[in-house]
Amino acid sequence: MSASRIGFRVLLRDPMGLFGLVLAAVLILSALFAPLLASHDPAAIDVAVKLQPPSAAHWLGTDEIGRDTWSRVLYGGRVALAVALSATFLSVVFGGLLGLIAALGPRWLDQGLTLLFDTVRSYPVIILALAIGPIFGGGMVVLMGLLVATSVPYYGRIMRTSVIAEASSDYVEALRAMGMGRIRIALRHILPNVIGPILILASMDIPGFIMAEAGISFLGVGVKAPDTSWGMILDQGFRYIGHTPWLVIAGGAPLILATLGFTFLGEALRDAYDPRLKRRG
Amino acid sequence: MGTPLLEVVNLGVKYGPLHAVNHVSFTLEPGRILGIVGESGSGKSTLLWALTRLVPEAAALNSGEVWFDGEDLLRLPPDKLRALRGGRISYVSQDPMTSLAPGLTIGQQMTDVLHREPWPAREKWARAVDALDRVSLPDPEARMRMYPHELSGGQRQRVSIAMALMLKPDLVLADEPTTALDPTLEVEILALLRRLQGETGAAVIFVTHHLGVVHSLCDEVLVMKDGEIREAGPVAKVFAQPQDDYTRRLFRCDPARITNATRRLPTMADAEVERPEPVTGPAGRVKLEGLPVLAFDDVSVTYRRRALLPQALGGRSEDIVAVRQVSFDIRRGETLALIGESGSGKTTIARSILGLAQPGSGSIRLNGRELLGQDRAGWTATRAKVAMMFQDAGGSLSPRMTIARQVVEPLIVHGRPAEATRARALELLAMAGLDARFADRYPHELSGGQARRAGVARALALSPELIVADEPTAGLDVSVQGEVINLLKGLQETLGVAILLITHNMAIIRHTADRAVVLLKGQVMETGPTVALFAGAEQPYTRSLIAAAVHDLPEPEGP
Amino acid sequence: MLAFICRRIALGFMVLTLATASLYVLVQLAPGDPASAMLGPRASPRIKAEFREKLGLDRPMPVQIVNYLIAVGQGDLGIDLKTKKPVVETIAAHAPHTIALVGAALLLATGLGIPLGAAAAVRRNSWFDRAIGLISVSLISIPPVVIAICGMLLFSAHLGWLPAIGAGEGFRDNILHLLMPAFAVGIGWVGYIARLVRASMIEVLGANYIRNAKSFGLTERMVTYRYALRASLSPTIAVLGVGVGVMLGSAAFAEIVFARPGIGKMMHDAVTLRNYPVTLGAVLCATALLVAATTLADILNALLDPRFKENRD
Repeated sequence: MSASRIGFRVLLRDPMGLFGLVLAAVLILSALFAPLLASHDPAAIDVAVKLQPPSAAHWLGTDEIGRDTWSRVLYGGRVALAVALSATFLSVVFGGLLGLIAALGPRWLDQGLTLLFDTVRSYPVIILALAIGPIFGGGMVVLMGLLVATSVPYYGRIMRTSVIAEASSDYVEALRAMGMGRIRIALRHILPNVIGPILILASMDIPGFIMAEAGISFLGVGVKAPDTSWGMILDQGFRYIGHTPWLVIAGGAPLILATLGFTFLGEALRDAYDPRLKRRG
Repeated sequence: MGTPLLEVVNLGVKYGPLHAVNHVSFTLEPGRILGIVGESGSGKSTLLWALTRLVPEAAALNSGEVWFDGEDLLRLPPDKLRALRGGRISYVSQDPMTSLAPGLTIGQQMTDVLHREPWPAREKWARAVDALDRVSLPDPEARMRMYPHELSGGQRQRVSIAMALMLKPDLVLADEPTTALDPTLEVEILALLRRLQGETGAAVIFVTHHLGVVHSLCDEVLVMKDGEIREAGPVAKVFAQPQDDYTRRLFRCDPARITNATRRLPTMADAEVERPEPVTGPAGRVKLEGLPVLAFDDVSVTYRRRALLPQALGGRSEDIVAVRQVSFDIRRGETLALIGESGSGKTTIARSILGLAQPGSGSIRLNGRELLGQDRAGWTATRAKVAMMFQDAGGSLSPRMTIARQVVEPLIVHGRPAEATRARALELLAMAGLDARFADRYPHELSGGQARRAGVARALALSPELIVADEPTAGLDVSVQGEVINLLKGLQETLGVAILLITHNMAIIRHTADRAVVLLKGQVMETGPTVALFAGAEQPYTRSLIAAAVHDLPEPEGP
Repeated sequence: MLAFICRRIALGFMVLTLATASLYVLVQLAPGDPASAMLGPRASPRIKAEFREKLGLDRPMPVQIVNYLIAVGQGDLGIDLKTKKPVVETIAAHAPHTIALVGAALLLATGLGIPLGAAAAVRRNSWFDRAIGLISVSLISIPPVVIAICGMLLFSAHLGWLPAIGAGEGFRDNILHLLMPAFAVGIGWVGYIARLVRASMIEVLGANYIRNAKSFGLTERMVTYRYALRASLSPTIAVLGVGVGVMLGSAAFAEIVFARPGIGKMMHDAVTLRNYPVTLGAVLCATALLVAATTLADILNALLDPRFKENRD
């Protein structure tokens, strides 16, 4: 039986993994079906009903300009998921590509790319977002660009290290002795062997992106109106804490559940696919 | 004969449902040397470490008693057991590369052994230096300040032995201490152990799979298989007249015990009665006329180790000569052995045939055609005619592809995908002695011997004229070595392929190679027909290699 | 060893220089004219003209970059548009609070995380280990900003045990004001470090040399701390070095929630006021801190395990 299938079975038996899987599924489904589940238009303003506690009409109450919190939470989930998943995907793809080029290319290119990675990695993300975001006008695209740009070096380095390590394995020697070209070996043999752990690492990064997006939006330099974000709701909640606690809860609770769910899932995935446990199942 | 030093009664160790050690009982008198032989999986190492309860958590020491000096070690409270360790019972373990902690200096680790003693730091230091001196480690004071990775394997093993003997224990437990070492180094370390045992009078239990070592070093022997003792007794008696069937077969299979060269090595599965047939005269398959398949002429390979600092800041790059003006040739249908220990250059030579290493000078000709300096097309053609079998057979197979796919991979690489059919894969596997059920397995599901055979099957894919086999018997149990060798020889008989055999195992060479080239530090020491070398080699280095492999074994008396 | 330390510091400087230059170029890419991008719409035309001249915005890009680097190197980060004083002064006033906060968080993370991780590894698969595992993963999952807000509400607003605002006066008061923010920033790292140390140690504890050390009669304590933990620390130190970057971000949230006068809060206020010289100066300061942290981590690792140096190149 191949390693992937053994791993999946182990995952299903781990209570933490199952819990994470359920939470993640709930988030994904609620994001997908947000328009159906929402009770109001999340951008609809109605100052007359501002800062209300939960009621039959507004399940989680309203914010300071009368927008329905429940709907905003749902659409905030969309944003969180969209940003986290796209950022992860793009970082892995671009980072992996650059890392592959660094590992296989000439030495000068490798050194140059490594230096580039080290340079970009030295910017603290949140601080950078605070400075750069406003200069470029803020918004979701700028936010994504920042998140991807600062994560590419991470995956680039991992891919580079993994490929170089694999390249010195015996089976690569054997393939070269057979006459196989380096690029072909990299794509057909090395890449499939290293991609697994990298994907696991990527899955463990998703909660980090969710938190980063929420945090940057909390600071006001991330997602802009008319989009919503849990971070924005949290920020409003913090500012209006004297009037109602419900905004903080509405912003904070889904955030915690989402990061909890994806973290548990990621940890369980990592344990399940641990190469040392190859013979389990 | 007083009271025994160690008395083991009915010891059992289980890993879940599996009995790693089962109903083992024996005694050991003070000052005696006991050898425990067995193949991998026999439980001999587990037994050794179980004596002081140093087994992994997954193992259960569920039955038996281990009596040492009036106490049952299995039931002793942990701190009393710890008091015995190092002081009265100590271990020498197998792999010098991983037996010392990487982040601490030699001096720190050695003085740590003395942590219980009340002496001041300077005294402990002096004793440690003294211990290093007694194991013949040069410049012990300097070594104390070094880290393990700065020492060679042999030096590290000496340090381990010094640590084991520092507190003059009554019992030394050695777990294959020389298995990972080159033959000549192995002989040195064994001689060292013998000397130290004589000086200190300690009792020793020596676990190994090398029968010759047991015969020359030990007083008594235990033969283990599958966790049980098959035979026990004084060495001379057991070796001359083994009673147990498994023991008999084991002794029979050891290539080192067969002093006349044979065409076919006995294996465990062979019927008992068969005696190995001796070789008379050169093999008929070797074609002496015509061009040699491979000719090495004055080849040198130099590696440049680049300095960390550029030249301007004082960085110097080092030139390491791996191969120095080596010449030899291989005839059609012949088996040539390239003998050398680590650092001899034998692997570099193998890699240069396939274009994986670049010689700086000399010429390599395949069927008369020069290999050095040829273009890509030339190398592709070369790789179709020369196939390589790697030392780490399992590691040389891609982890995520099935065996069947990998065996025909060379055909795909060389632009013959139409031939890379499943039928051909099964055919190749069959030639290597693997039946169809192995076709869809993954490398990690194969045993050492099976992985080796898969490597052979892959090497045959393009019907090569020359097979380069890098240490084909390394890491294999004695009983399996014969199978792999017989396979290669059989293929040679049927296909007429030439074989370049790279190894340091002289015992195998005697039965496999027609001629041999002895290498030391990149240079050819001696060349000649194998029979002649074994009858009387000229070079002392060759003689020492032969002596290391063949440990004065008596001819086994008939069944 | 000394050679390695010098090389590593030199590399750190090079990275910092490149990062500064890249930041300058990045800002130039923003829409609008470069002076507005760097100074913000609030800057008066006079300031913008001075800026243009000093940096030579009409000169080719490499010259601009060099000019900028020279300016930064001399400590000239521009003028704080709010206070009209040099940006360096503003940053110097706020930086110590952030450094104290991150330092306290690091102390919390290592002080609790490493022993818990080691203890879990030694008692592998026990109820203790599983409990630590669950707690660790849960701690990792809660965003610092949420912890900060909840902590503030619970311990300050509701219970009144700890101060809510500012950094405090005097040493003892400073510590009190540091407790909750440090907790918010560091507690997630306790879980992360515990997991990391546990995993490293389990791997190390299975090594041959550990069994050998035990066979020489070394105590469990010696084996666990002197042999096993020492070997396991390397990845932890590396992670912490890089983690300072994330902590700087979390510190920003904590500072805003608790109104602590650190770099994060300074930046947040500056953004609201469009005080761009301050925000850009703050990025440079934070970047310098992060580069210093990673450099220090590498040097520490080399001191702990001499083989580390050989793997670097």
